Amino acid sequence: MAQKRVALEGVRITDFCWWGVGAYCTRILGNLGAEVIRIESGTSMDPTRGAQPIRDGATGVNVSGYFNNFNPSKVGISLNLNHPKGREIALRLVAISDVVTDSFTPHVMEKWGLLYEDLVKVRPDIIAASIPVMGRSGPYRDWGCYGHQIESMAGLASLAGLPGRPPIGTGEAWPDFTSNPYHAATAILAALHYRRRTGKGQCIEVAQFESTVCFVGPAVLEYTANSRIPSPAADRVPHAAPHGVYRCKGEDRWCALTVFTDAQWEAFKCVIGSPCWCSEPRFATFLGRKVAEDELDVLITQWTVEKTAEEVMMLMQHAGVPAGVLQTGEDLLVRDPHIKAREFHVACDHPEAGRITYDGVPFKLSKTPGRLQRTHLFGEHNDYVYHHLLGMSEEEIGQCYVDGVFD
Amino acid sequence: MDSREGGKGALGDVRVLDLAGPLGAYCTKLLADLGAEVIKVEKPGGCCTRDIGPFFHDDPHREKSLYFFHFNANKRSITLDIETADGAEVFKRLVRSSDIVVETFPPGYLERRGLGYPALQEVNPAVIFTSVTPFGQTGPYRDYKGSDIIGLAMGGLLYIGGFPEDPPSQAGPWQACHETSVNACVATLAALYNRDVTGQGQWVDVSMQECVAVALQFVMQFYDLRRELIVRNGTSLATSSAFPARRLPGMGLYPCKDGYVNLFPLGRIPELVDWMESKKMAGALKEERWQEVLAVISTTESLTRLFGNPAAAEKYMTEEFPYIDGLVAAFVGAHNKKEMCEEAQSRRIPAVPVNDVRDLLSNPQLVFRNFFVDVHYPELRVKLTHVGSPYRLSETPWQIVRRAPLVGEDNREIYEDEMGIPRESLRLFKEGGII
Repeated sequence: MAQKRVALEGVRITDFCWWGVGAYCTRILGNLGAEVIRIESGTSMDPTRGAQPIRDGATGVNVSGYFNNFNPSKVGISLNLNHPKGREIALRLVAISDVVTDSFTPHVMEKWGLLYEDLVKVRPDIIAASIPVMGRSGPYRDWGCYGHQIESMAGLASLAGLPGRPPIGTGEAWPDFTSNPYHAATAILAALHYRRRTGKGQCIEVAQFESTVCFVGPAVLEYTANSRIPSPAADRVPHAAPHGVYRCKGEDRWCALTVFTDAQWEAFKCVIGSPCWCSEPRFATFLGRKVAEDELDVLITQWTVEKTAEEVMMLMQHAGVPAGVLQTGEDLLVRDPHIKAREFHVACDHPEAGRITYDGVPFKLSKTPGRLQRTHLFGEHNDYVYHHLLGMSEEEIGQCYVDGVFD
Repeated sequence: MDSREGGKGALGDVRVLDLAGPLGAYCTKLLADLGAEVIKVEKPGGCCTRDIGPFFHDDPHREKSLYFFHFNANKRSITLDIETADGAEVFKRLVRSSDIVVETFPPGYLERRGLGYPALQEVNPAVIFTSVTPFGQTGPYRDYKGSDIIGLAMGGLLYIGGFPEDPPSQAGPWQACHETSVNACVATLAALYNRDVTGQGQWVDVSMQECVAVALQFVMQFYDLRRELIVRNGTSLATSSAFPARRLPGMGLYPCKDGYVNLFPLGRIPELVDWMESKKMAGALKEERWQEVLAVISTTESLTRLFGNPAAAEKYMTEEFPYIDGLVAAFVGAHNKKEMCEEAQSRRIPAVPVNDVRDLLSNPQLVFRNFFVDVHYPELRVKLTHVGSPYRLSETPWQIVRRAPLVGEDNREIYEDEMGIPRESLRLFKEGGII
């Protein structure tokens, strides 16, 4: 059976990214069929190789569930960039690549002589994308921080959670998997399109701080237009009521339930059996429901606590009212029939980690579907890249190993 | 008047028909801001995203939605009722000369009107048709209704947000919609690249649930590999239910004189202690007996060992860690967030202020970088400050060239000038409610 073309077939990326956000960006492009050649040195391995979750009994540098989920669909080589020959080989790779990616603070690529101005000398139409925290310019250019801190700094955390509670944010490094890698991937793809029609490459910088501020656009406008600092709204929104998260039967089980229109309110009332309080005139309009939101939430909970979260969702959805279970990792992997039918999770055998499940591709392209390939072992594709792609001889490769170039 | 030149911007040769609601609003914004010609196709009277707040001076008018302004700068607008036979015909004509269509209607809605991908593919085989829905075009939940919070819930993020003693609380406003939109944008541009090479268009099916589920850090993996659930623990980083749910000392949110600081001195504990000592606020931490405890929280390896040993962690949490945490809290509490973070960063200790939107507008880095952009709104007689670009492209820089359009602002230019529809027909269309 003929292999379907993948969307980014023929695009080669020399990838210097590590940790979270950069690895995630090239994961996106690798799953879409780009050949991502991931450079890593044994002298300074990606710290996420040691990160949880790790299956009990699994050992070594290739078994982290964190690392493996962030780095499928990539070609892995070991290369020591602190060795001059290592840098020379990196430039030879750049010369046969379309894109170069990195997520270091600017002085690191500068130290290695791998800035855009260096890369264009070996490949004039190269597209070079960096994902630093702050960017190459500015008083804070040397700042360093982690993904969940970007959320705090970019204003997101101040808009989340309960008023009066510490602004803890989403509970994860949300910008590492959303704003930053996707903005970088978007810019790279736009640049690839531009290059096809003009022949020109370019230099791209996605400063993680700025990129994440782009996710709070309406809130910024509310301040600049109305001089109001929006406050966190817990699980509510200004334009719907009821709208929230309701406790259901069982331990820590919840269902989100939202009513956006009067028609949905009528349907909602039927589903919960039209108890007397429902027909009070004050609840008949959106404004009335908004004003009485606290009271409504208590009344609704009296109904939801008697049902499982799944029952609440199904009953509401069949009546046309948006509702959804607050799903756990177990729900997603084991119980959710829809995500299973969509084949979102992908299980692959890994030589050292065993059979592991990956988060898959969250969209379906009808003619060129994404495809996820298992994560490489450290240095697994040295032979493919050095011998096959770069045409290095056995002798040259052997000497590099001896000299520590491939450490 | 629109001052965009054809060809400018990375996507300057691309035309997009935008029928997107909240799930795709940021996708089409990204395309427009990269130079694509994006035509917002609104139902007569204006699309419903103009009813979403906040509003300029709190006036809920369809030409004053700040939400709409943010997502629709750089775009053109036409009104068109695609549910009518005439409207559908006009729409197909537009598709013929367009590269991309982005829509967020419920699955089957456009198909029933003869405007789904199979029909439009006949009209323009190269068209990229991007459909963004809460649960995708297939599967048992395809007809389920969604909104941002439903995406967060079913996608697995909502469960891990907030404090254990409270109901889980959502990420900031519109986060599921943003995440879904950036996925839709990447998928669309990948399809565009494929079209550049092969000439083929295709259908892009984006599910909000999956877009959230792909952004969970390690929630699914913890269950897959260890049968453990990630649960909310009241800190910035939710952890496994197998691990005692409290903050590690020195790691996380600390109140300071004018707000909060988010501290995460991974690998920089000795430097933090030295700094505290220089201000005589390190207590006994420089003494020999505390070095072993400090070593436990000093590196990713030591932390991984700690997380792998909940019993040992519990002991530290109860006995030694509170002392360290108290000293750090007192230290941070003695500073303002700006001075604290600037000094910490100069010592390469990862510390950031928790900023609100007012802080952002006076942030030295964002101000230096000219990140915010003033856009003129002549009808309101003001300039409004928009957020700027998420990226800097050296050849094709980002720019806002025009404010968000008024309802049907470009009807004349597009229908009459560009498509050659006679003015009399347009008058009849208007009377018939087609435009």
